[in-house]
Amino acid sequence: MSNIKFKLNGQDVDLNLDPSMRLLDVLRNHFQLTGPKEGCGEGECGACAVLLDGHIVHSCCLPLANVHEKEVVTIEGFSKTKRYQALADAMLEEGGSQCGICTPGMMIAAESLLSQNPKPTEDEIRIGISGNLCRCTGYNMIVKAIKTASKKGDGLW
Amino acid sequence: MVKHTIPKNLNEAINYLYQGDYQVIAGGTDLMIQRRNSADLPPLFNSNLLYVFNLEELKYVIKEESQIRIGSMTSLETLLHHPDVPKLLKDVIGEMASPGIRNVATLAGNIANASPAGDTLVALYLMDAIVVLSSVNQNRYLPIEKVILGPRKTCIENNELIKEIIIPNHQFTQTSWVKVGGRRADAISKVSFAAAVTIDKGSVMDFRMAFGAVFMTVVRSRQIEKLYKNLSVKALKNDVQNIVFHYQELIKPIDDQRSNKTYRSQVSQNLIEDFIRKI
Amino acid sequence: MRDISKSIPKEDHVEKVSGRALYVSDIKMDRMLFAKTVRSIHPKAKIESIEIPELPKDYFIVDYKDIPGENYVKMIFEDWPIFAENTVNYIGDPIMLVVGKNKHIINQIIEQIKIEYKILKPMFDYKKSVINKKFTKGNIKKAFVKPFKKVSGIYETGYQEQAYIEPQGFIAYPEGEKKITLIGSIQCPYYVKNAVIVALGCENDEVRVIQPTVGGAFGGKEEFPSVMACQLAVAVRKIGRPIKMIYEREEDMEVTTKRHPSKIKLTAAVDENHHIKGIKAYVSLDSGAYMGLSGVVLARAMIAATDAYTIDNLDVSGDVYETNTVPNGAFRGFGSPQMIFAFEMFMNHIAKELDIDPLPFRLNHLAKQNDLTSTSGIFRDPIIMEKMIQKAMEISDYKNKYKAYQDSSVFKGIGMSWFLHGCGFTGSGESTHIKAKVKLRKDKNNQVYILVAAVEMGQGAKTSLKKIVVQTLDIPSKQVTFNNPDTDFVPDSGPTVASRTIMIVGGLLARAALKLKETWIEDQEMEIIENYQQPEYIEWDEDTMQGDAYPAYSWGVNIVEVEVSPVTYQTNLKGIWSVYDAGKSIDDRLVLGQADGGIAQGVAYGYLEVMKHEKGKIRQKTMTDYIIPTAVDMPRTETVIMENPYILGPYGAKGVGELTLVGGAPAVALAIEQAITKKVKKIPATPEYIMELINHE
Repeated sequence: MSNIKFKLNGQDVDLNLDPSMRLLDVLRNHFQLTGPKEGCGEGECGACAVLLDGHIVHSCCLPLANVHEKEVVTIEGFSKTKRYQALADAMLEEGGSQCGICTPGMMIAAESLLSQNPKPTEDEIRIGISGNLCRCTGYNMIVKAIKTASKKGDGLW
Repeated sequence: MVKHTIPKNLNEAINYLYQGDYQVIAGGTDLMIQRRNSADLPPLFNSNLLYVFNLEELKYVIKEESQIRIGSMTSLETLLHHPDVPKLLKDVIGEMASPGIRNVATLAGNIANASPAGDTLVALYLMDAIVVLSSVNQNRYLPIEKVILGPRKTCIENNELIKEIIIPNHQFTQTSWVKVGGRRADAISKVSFAAAVTIDKGSVMDFRMAFGAVFMTVVRSRQIEKLYKNLSVKALKNDVQNIVFHYQELIKPIDDQRSNKTYRSQVSQNLIEDFIRKI
Repeated sequence: MRDISKSIPKEDHVEKVSGRALYVSDIKMDRMLFAKTVRSIHPKAKIESIEIPELPKDYFIVDYKDIPGENYVKMIFEDWPIFAENTVNYIGDPIMLVVGKNKHIINQIIEQIKIEYKILKPMFDYKKSVINKKFTKGNIKKAFVKPFKKVSGIYETGYQEQAYIEPQGFIAYPEGEKKITLIGSIQCPYYVKNAVIVALGCENDEVRVIQPTVGGAFGGKEEFPSVMACQLAVAVRKIGRPIKMIYEREEDMEVTTKRHPSKIKLTAAVDENHHIKGIKAYVSLDSGAYMGLSGVVLARAMIAATDAYTIDNLDVSGDVYETNTVPNGAFRGFGSPQMIFAFEMFMNHIAKELDIDPLPFRLNHLAKQNDLTSTSGIFRDPIIMEKMIQKAMEISDYKNKYKAYQDSSVFKGIGMSWFLHGCGFTGSGESTHIKAKVKLRKDKNNQVYILVAAVEMGQGAKTSLKKIVVQTLDIPSKQVTFNNPDTDFVPDSGPTVASRTIMIVGGLLARAALKLKETWIEDQEMEIIENYQQPEYIEWDEDTMQGDAYPAYSWGVNIVEVEVSPVTYQTNLKGIWSVYDAGKSIDDRLVLGQADGGIAQGVAYGYLEVMKHEKGKIRQKTMTDYIIPTAVDMPRTETVIMENPYILGPYGAKGVGELTLVGGAPAVALAIEQAITKKVKKIPATPEYIMELINHE
């Protein structure tokens, strides 16, 4: 079959790889993008989260074929945006990152949430990150950070 | 040598299925995990793969006079926010998995996976959903309970693709969805329960219950439900112990790493009583 | 000078939030090979024979025969083999590594390996005690003479899996002719180094350990990584190429150390004034197949026998039982959570037996300054628990809620736990085992380097230790550098465990910084070394377990409010409030972060996290089946930090890392008790258990 063509962090890519490969492995091994992590390999922890056409997906259970003609953004790509900066500043202010392993996934989840719902309630934030497990923070400061970013980042989302 | 095919449209898809044997894969959240290999290695699929996730023409929600028709590749997250999707189905989806899973999961995937603990299946059974199976020869319209035969078993032929799910309109006066999972998000159900009644002037016009994760398939009994149609609400409530007794015959849960049969049985019973109490 | 507690930006924030931080799994090397472990499938068996298929070129088997040094992992108790020789003692016991370039071929080789076992009878009951400890206080015999009331209780706790989001892993590679370097997800660079030296039988300068970014640890990466490190070092010695071994989640959950399951029996003799005259405590811990650190876990559990209370007469004993299950080990709290759960429930159950209000009953026994501790040491420092309890009750509206929820038709409850945590290594560990050493080096450009082995694993060690040095030296932050520990450059300041990092290592750094400041010579290279000195007043007898078990204690109060569904028996957390005395926080936000994370783990230990084994096979070994809280499960948490500076701590700081976990389980269990009007004696208090309690009339 023909190649898998998609946009990755704003660049067009054309791959001749096994289309059943996990997107996570393609990102980490083929593109050396180590931002998405493997925490569980079964779509449960969200450390592998990336944006697919702006929506959060777990790249550890998405076959490469499913991104054909779509747009994928990893934390590496997202970190070049103003929205990222607002979230990153809020995370610093509120203490939302401790060991950091869940943090890229949380940032992706936050972006996915805020782009659908720019002024979420606390409950909606918790639902928005419900697929991202964190063992260090108890979520409190992450939720506060997303709230702060949505408040301070007026007009960004 | 495994063949990988991404069909451009439904027609191409069913033609491929006619010509050869394929494992159909939609979002991938079930299959990619079931066939997992070591990290860095592709999953262990032993058959050709047909990737239908991107069939845009199967992503729709069409409201018709007496029913809604849902394209099989519509993501659960889309359904969650769609104004025409019945409340009961939204209640189910809202408590399922997580946003990242819901963004690629589909009703078709849930149906094909036929998990005994599948939450959407419980709602689809309760609402008399019809599954449309497309092949080059025909479209088959089957009630969901005829499609799902057992754990991971369906009657879907090798040359068929789930095209659409049809949900007839209902005027329920009260619906209930209770998912009993290990935690409040991202959990596989230990027991799940969907119920609906239509009450008119103190009479039970429609009475339905369906249970998930307590048998090999969703438990729903039109036989039991028939017993309570056209009764008064009072009579229905008075007979709650019999209702529980009837369902106990059908609810056969197991012990597993998530829970045990005593708990699942008892909670099913409590859910019945609680729903009827609240009518 | 500014108050050190005032929060500053976290040191490693930018790399973590941008995804640029490198964890071990992100690191790749030229000519790197992969390793996968072949493990026992039986809980107890003799290995009769092993048939290895013909190996393709550049694929290797590494087993006990390849160990140049000794086949044990250096830990406190030296019974843990690197590779099994002729017996296996738990499902998952490592037998060999298969090493090669392609994971697919490695899997194929493993499928073809035939191991003949002679199955032996495994032991799962608490029958074989390997370690026994005992201590007494006062006159227990006298205390139990004709008591007004005798109350007993048996309490059980289950496994808890650390479930750090980054699984365990290492890369090991040869450096030059003889040296082997290891990069791994670890808490204790020198534990790893010293274990590898024994495994290789090599010189001190032939092993190097470097810490990358670590994605959470919680004790799970205290001693277990040494097992992997020894295996990989032996493999690198044999093969001469870099080798990477990262556990996937199921493997990690199934074979790495967990919190010891426990069974604790408590008996109290109470007089007619409702005063507890004496307590007998018996602790049993399930160590799994190898002892490892279990003796120290037992010691800490036993020392916590009376929690935050003073009881004059005690008989405390305990055993560590060997079973054919996965070896258990360190997890935040280290024996305290088990004991504190049991004791707090017991205090409340005694009050129930006496039919009295638990609050004044507990207050009457609360420890006070100058009281004798459980091991007849002294609580030398001020204790502000009464103030903390008042504050906690105030911010949670405890008294009103408690009264309202006493109504048994309301399935709501509010529970309050009081607890302490001894800071630092138990007993004489700091002076006899660790002998911590820190170094500050200043170069000609007046850049100061912090050289310690303390690992940043999310708790903020990098930020807070640097802050101590910056504040003491009174120089700009960018003039101080704290790189991740590399054993080639840092002295052994001890492991990152036991809530010792700020108090002990930070304390040494504060002294070193002060010396540097006082002797500072501009534009000249300088080096200051500080060695740990045990405060003179600390006397501890390891054998009789008498004296000051710890130099200092931190204190806490947790309040948890719940609602239990009478239909599904599920517990919904409605609110969590905490007050802590950790002396002084070096950084408020970091301490509050520890508070949020610790209580989430502590509470979940009490009601949510289930791990069981069936005939030695772990049943919950995925993130789907081993349930930890999601953001939707956790309510907002409110925490108040109260200052109570400790004279010997840097800026008054004591330990805080474990304190915030140890009280969560009894707080939620007490809340559930009130909600369902039944005594909770086991954790996790799952819906299944709650149903049993409610239906058992």
